[in-house]
Amino acid sequence: MRTRVLIAGLAAVGLVAACAPAQNTPAAGGGDEKTGTVRVWLFDEANRAPKEAAVKEAIAEFKAAHSGVEVDVQWIPVEGRADKFSGAFNDPASAPDVAEFGNTDVSSYAATGALADLTGDLSSWKEGADILPAVLETAKSGGKTYGLPWFTGIRALYYRTDLFAELGLKPPTTLAELTETAKTIRAKKPELYGISVGGKYTYAMLPFLWAHGGEIAKQDGGKWKSTMDSEQAKAGVTAYANLLKADICPPEQCANLTGTQSITAFAGGKAGMSIGGDFNRKAVEAGQVKGKYAIIPLPGTEAGKIAPAFAGGNLLGVFNATKRKSLAVEFTELLGGAKYQEKMYVAMGNLPTLGSVQQKLAASDPSVKPFVDTLTAGTKFVPATAAWSKIDAQNVLPTAIQQIATGGKDPAAALTAAAAEMNKAFG
Amino acid sequence: MVTKEIPRTTAPAVPARRSPRRRRDGRAALLYLAPGGILLLAMLVYPIYQLVLISFYDYGQPQAVGNAPLVFLGFGNYVELLENLQFWEVLAKTLGFTAVCVVGSLALGTGLAVLATRVRAWARVPLFLAALAAWATPAMAGSYVWLFLFDADFGLVNEVLSGLGFTGMANHSWTFDTYSTFGLVAAEVIWCSFPFVMVTMYAGLKGVPEEVIEAAYLDGASTWRTTWSITLPMVRPLLTIATIQSIIWDFKIFTQIYVMTNGGGVAGRNLVLNVFAYQQAFAGQEYGLGAALGVVMTLLLLSITGLYVRSQRRSAGWV
Amino acid sequence: MGVTTGRRVRKPGRLIAEIVCVVIAGMVAFPVYWMVLSAFKPTGQIQAENPRPWTLTPTLEHFERVLSGEGFAMFFLNSVIVAVVVVALSLLLSFLSAVALTRFNFKGRTVLLVMVLVAQMVPVEALTIPLFFLMRSVGDVAPAFGTNHLGSLILVHLAFSLPFAIWMLRGFVAAVPQELEEASKIDGASRMRFTWQILFPLVAPGLVAISVLAFIHAWNDFLFAKTFIISNTENQTLPLAILVFFKPEDTDWGAVMAGSTLMTIPVLVFFILVQRRLVSVMGGAVKG
Repeated sequence: MRTRVLIAGLAAVGLVAACAPAQNTPAAGGGDEKTGTVRVWLFDEANRAPKEAAVKEAIAEFKAAHSGVEVDVQWIPVEGRADKFSGAFNDPASAPDVAEFGNTDVSSYAATGALADLTGDLSSWKEGADILPAVLETAKSGGKTYGLPWFTGIRALYYRTDLFAELGLKPPTTLAELTETAKTIRAKKPELYGISVGGKYTYAMLPFLWAHGGEIAKQDGGKWKSTMDSEQAKAGVTAYANLLKADICPPEQCANLTGTQSITAFAGGKAGMSIGGDFNRKAVEAGQVKGKYAIIPLPGTEAGKIAPAFAGGNLLGVFNATKRKSLAVEFTELLGGAKYQEKMYVAMGNLPTLGSVQQKLAASDPSVKPFVDTLTAGTKFVPATAAWSKIDAQNVLPTAIQQIATGGKDPAAALTAAAAEMNKAFG
Repeated sequence: MVTKEIPRTTAPAVPARRSPRRRRDGRAALLYLAPGGILLLAMLVYPIYQLVLISFYDYGQPQAVGNAPLVFLGFGNYVELLENLQFWEVLAKTLGFTAVCVVGSLALGTGLAVLATRVRAWARVPLFLAALAAWATPAMAGSYVWLFLFDADFGLVNEVLSGLGFTGMANHSWTFDTYSTFGLVAAEVIWCSFPFVMVTMYAGLKGVPEEVIEAAYLDGASTWRTTWSITLPMVRPLLTIATIQSIIWDFKIFTQIYVMTNGGGVAGRNLVLNVFAYQQAFAGQEYGLGAALGVVMTLLLLSITGLYVRSQRRSAGWV
Repeated sequence: MGVTTGRRVRKPGRLIAEIVCVVIAGMVAFPVYWMVLSAFKPTGQIQAENPRPWTLTPTLEHFERVLSGEGFAMFFLNSVIVAVVVVALSLLLSFLSAVALTRFNFKGRTVLLVMVLVAQMVPVEALTIPLFFLMRSVGDVAPAFGTNHLGSLILVHLAFSLPFAIWMLRGFVAAVPQELEEASKIDGASRMRFTWQILFPLVAPGLVAISVLAFIHAWNDFLFAKTFIISNTENQTLPLAILVFFKPEDTDWGAVMAGSTLMTIPVLVFFILVQRRLVSVMGGAVKG
């Protein structure tokens, strides 16, 4: 009996020691065929028709310019993209030639080596010089550019014009004023939130962090180190967490709100103010506050300054495994060019990434102005390292905010813990 | 014909037949087991083996793709996991949460199954249909519906409660307090899991011969006494199976917690192990750590189930 | 069930029990009702200040959006194919395995049983990467069963429903008395005959429970559908069609509810079909 167990045990150890986990064997590189089908992955929208129409036009134009070429578009649900891209990385045969992806995913995708380096292509592209530098930065990882910025998403301050008029309030010009205004609103109207923000709304917290002079992390000779425990960071995060108090947005309701939930509360008439993106405008218009709100850039710590916003947005990238490299790059440049960026704005409300297009829009469409102003004032991004997606997934920053807001930990302790978590992930 | 044999579900230690039978059994068994066996071997045993392997390496997306070398960590992932204080907190909460869900679904399912055997079709059919609708609702949809019903600002429950006079409940958040949140999610889980128990137990109860119950009634036993002392013990093996299944499923709950607590609750205080694994490992493509967590979870479940089966064996009624 | 003299005395008790039954049925069904109701409510009313368990302005727009989404009918068909095949094969394979593990005596039986149980305990999410690579290799040999094809989904759902199905059916098979088998042997029936003609119908209730479970599991799965089906979207299943409405910033709740309602209906239909079978077979089994 014992010998049998011993043999079984040795066999098990042997199996484990002798073998290694399955890995993909890297593909035999791409190709540069000039005909065939270019496969494109684009993010699906709940109401896809306008986007699809614009894309179809681009495809028609592309086919006219290249004979023998077809373009096949696959619509990817944003929520399920992680597995799609995982599948594409693990099985290059399933990968597309061109794909749309969020700029927060750039570093982790680049680490797989599956995306093509477009630095050269973009610098030789005639419209390449027009890409807003701040936005282009978000497409880089390790100094190389892995995507063409297709559109950008910026957040600003939404507020209720009717409430402000009724209570004799003026739109806040500094963050401190914002806090006071929010308190006043809730004091006078206890059934409303002064401002609806949430513990999970990281992208609303970041402007506070940055406006106070804090940074998420600093790169020191190739190695990233968290700076969330600095004094400025503490001031910024605490300023945000102070919004999650009983006199503005009680932790019971707000500690766990995401960005979407925050703006939904505003759209449902439950808050005097909120922080929302250009992409939220349609939903707010469809809600109960239609016609009763306005948007201004989120102020900074001093009057006349705008808090640096988080530069979200999507890029168009090319896979290394593509068999039609030039075609893929050309299609990317077509779809990401001025003409179609403008069409995408009309179709989806996406803010363009090309300076000239932005100026044109700001001049003709007043509702875009606060977002363009915010963008022009300066945006910031998350650390461009693959470790960031891990930190994001682990909810390090929201946990810190929530701990401060609920009193679970004091700001110093919460941020020290957060910094430690981040440094562990940075490696 | 009342059978007094108590169904055996454990394998007897010694085969009850003589050699000629055994030889024939072996071959027939192989034939019968082959299709299922091959499938399970390929689709479950091999991936589980891979999983264990992966848990000993630093294995992320770059490694899976072949873009980065494999680094053997030995028990590194396990040490990292067990050193993490949060892991133990989450484990404790998962155990408590699982216990509540299992007991809840068993009690509700069995109770309703007994009730269903006593009523006529006009009452039983709606119950079954409702239970089935609850069971059929996709986990995500069910979670969101419950979330909407209990929403602090827009929920029907708060609306009704404040309408009934509990004005303090007007904006009450059911998902803020740790235990209130767990309670809400447990309610949803019990809601969508009890149908399985009910259907299973009902099938078993229907199999209990009419005559046995008759005899008990004629002897003067009350409904409750009959159920408790006679019917339930006869369906005990089924109850055991239902319990084990419930333990396995409820321990691994993911969707309901993830959806209803917005990814783990305030500061992660509503995390259960599977969501914790997703957050700490899979969402960040740390497959090695995730695999270690998967192995640990499996071992935990094995121990829990083992303890349960052993406790069942010890109590009367089993061979 | 027959009513006896003993029972007649308890009639008022039974009526109360029946009322309780119906009330509970209503409470259990309420969230489902809410889901269906939300599918018919105009968007503004779904998450609104004063929620009501009715709507005065029902609309079909959410259903239109869901149904006109690309390839909805195709995804629906794919889901049906996968679910039906999985159910049929689960019943067959689990029955065979359960009989072998319960009725036959051979070495290593307990070990196999335990292994089958353990197989269910592994968290499924942890297995997606190894399974992906496995299915890709399978696809190299038999494309229809590899990644990007429905065959891979069938195989994986079959593999994950079998352990439970075997365990469950074991209970039912074990509950059939040995005497029955003895008696049939004396009557001259072969083992095969006994298994299929006598044992199979006797465990019908267990088969019903298993088929419902396997159906629900295969129908509602979206973890494996999104892991395995990468480039061939024509092979996607229904849950993925609804995923698109979950935009991180702007979820289309009306469509989510409408889609979920559409997804729930076939399961209910399946059960109702199976339920009738159960009733007719039960009648035969109880007589034994």
